[in-house]
Amino acid sequence: MEQIKEYFKIALRNLRTRSLRSWLTILGIVIGVFLIISLLSLSEGIKQTITQQLRALGGEVIFVMPGEISNPIAMFMSGARLEREDIEGIEKVHGVDTVLTMSYQSLLVRHKDEGKTVFTSGLSWEKGTEIMEKFQGWSLKKGEWPIPGKREAVIGSQVENNVFEKKVALGDEIIIKGRRFEVVGILNSLGSKQDDTSIYLDLPFYQDLTGEKRGTAQMAMVKIKKGVSLDETAKKIKESLEKTRKRRMGSDAADFSVITSEKMGDIAGDILAVIQLAIIGFASIAIIVGGIGIMNTMFTSVRERTREIGIMKAIGAKDKAILTIFLFEAGIIGLMGGIGGTVLGLTLAKIIEIYGQAHPAFYFTATVSPGLVVFGLSFSFLVGCLSGFIPARQAAKLKPVEALRRYE
Amino acid sequence: MDSVIKLENVWKVYQLGKVELTALKGVSLDIHRGDFVTIMGPSGSGKSTLLNMIGCLDSPTKGKVFLKERDISRLSEDQLSQLRGKTIGFVFQEFNLMPNLTALENVTLPMVFQGVSEPERIKRGQELLSSLGLKERVRHQPAELSGGERQRVAIARAFANNPEVVIADEPTGNLDSHSGKKIMEVLKEFHQKEGKTIVVVTHDPNIAGYSEKIFNIKDGEMVQNHLQTQKYVWNK
Repeated sequence: MEQIKEYFKIALRNLRTRSLRSWLTILGIVIGVFLIISLLSLSEGIKQTITQQLRALGGEVIFVMPGEISNPIAMFMSGARLEREDIEGIEKVHGVDTVLTMSYQSLLVRHKDEGKTVFTSGLSWEKGTEIMEKFQGWSLKKGEWPIPGKREAVIGSQVENNVFEKKVALGDEIIIKGRRFEVVGILNSLGSKQDDTSIYLDLPFYQDLTGEKRGTAQMAMVKIKKGVSLDETAKKIKESLEKTRKRRMGSDAADFSVITSEKMGDIAGDILAVIQLAIIGFASIAIIVGGIGIMNTMFTSVRERTREIGIMKAIGAKDKAILTIFLFEAGIIGLMGGIGGTVLGLTLAKIIEIYGQAHPAFYFTATVSPGLVVFGLSFSFLVGCLSGFIPARQAAKLKPVEALRRYE
Repeated sequence: MDSVIKLENVWKVYQLGKVELTALKGVSLDIHRGDFVTIMGPSGSGKSTLLNMIGCLDSPTKGKVFLKERDISRLSEDQLSQLRGKTIGFVFQEFNLMPNLTALENVTLPMVFQGVSEPERIKRGQELLSSLGLKERVRHQPAELSGGERQRVAIARAFANNPEVVIADEPTGNLDSHSGKKIMEVLKEFHQKEGKTIVVVTHDPNIAGYSEKIFNIKDGEMVQNHLQTQKYVWNK
């Protein structure tokens, strides 16, 4: 133990003597660890945000959406619609309590002589308010819910201040395609930028504005009766949709995804896992490059210090002593790089978190787990030791007389 | 008398590409406890090779080397390092101090390898450096010391583990005559006061004048051994 302490001191001294080279080598590791720590804490943060949002959805709702869920672009571009027969079919499925249909589109909205294209959703206030409050986590920051059948609108939390130049207040009038609507309610943030910058209208008015056929919709949320299996009902809805489609169009292609919020979470989790894996892959490459840097530095060091190694062996150093000293040097480089990279990575994560809190438009959080820090530090130390091992062994195996003779 | 280092018909052949170079051709010698021995010879005579054999830094191609009557060819690399660290101290022409360590740390390094405890190491190191007139220099690095001071640090290091033999390879080769003389006086003192066995390799007859026994080597062979009778040239 006593000896180990001395070897550690010698290793530190050696690194300090070659400080520029040591720092440059450390920098190589810093970059790699910084990448791993910052990217992983960000992706962990995103994962938590998404999980939180999905939790807000509640567990007892089934979504019927156009297209394949695994392909989000197709989902919104497919233009597939739920026809009246589809919706009626869903309503008839055993266990279904309420079917809330929704449509959405970007529309030109005027507010006090200012026109902006705003994402506008139509949903039935009659059935919708309860479902949205209970399962989507909607709540009003100001005002009240619209009365069905009246030209009243609810706006997302950011529409109040951030969309139009002038603040949109309760009682203000907004004009969409020449029709006037009164703003009667402002929502609390729903946790996504798109939802928070939307305007919500009663479905019949929305359909009048857009020319969408009454009774149809782009998607639906299904609330089930108490005591009914969610998955079972989802399956039945899917079957009902397929049957209706087949009868009407002779095709049984599933252009709709019927999913539960739980399943949605799984899918998001899967996607994030792939992203995290990719991040680890890329950052590992950076670390490997850093490790090669350590190896290079250590080989140079062994060459330069061949004579010193010879001296140490002549005055009684065993192979193990030399090996330990060189391993310490490489390990210290790795660990220092790990500490630097972790500190930088955590700083970035913290900055993003603070920024995210100050700017509600920026839905980005970073989560730093202690496990990640421990992983960063031990991984970099390990990389250091591994890359230092071959050079250190080369040093330890030098014959004293040859080491002394060289570079004389 | 006890034999400390004994060489029996030692051959050393170096393979330089396709050429074979025979550095030692059947050298035998016996160094006893308490001897002050000089090995002399012109450059290229094989005296450095011989020194490596005596110091157990290298193993012979043929023949046997005994350190305290143990055949070193039977020892592993690590056992040999251990034994060398305990029994033999080295003083080199180029001082060969560790450039990053202070004088004191250089002196205590051999004791680290022998597992001596820190307080003991520091005590011994300071004693040695003080006795060599380097009390004020313990915290200095080699680059901050003069040649003579460096060599005295190297001597202190050589005696750190209280070895039985100290081998000095041209210890005054890089020093002016004044410093050189001082170094030799120090070695002589260790020899006389503590009865250490000293082996000096040199081509300088002034240095050889300190010893009691001189081995002359030429072309890898011992040419004559004789006891020293003449007085030191420097002392005249």
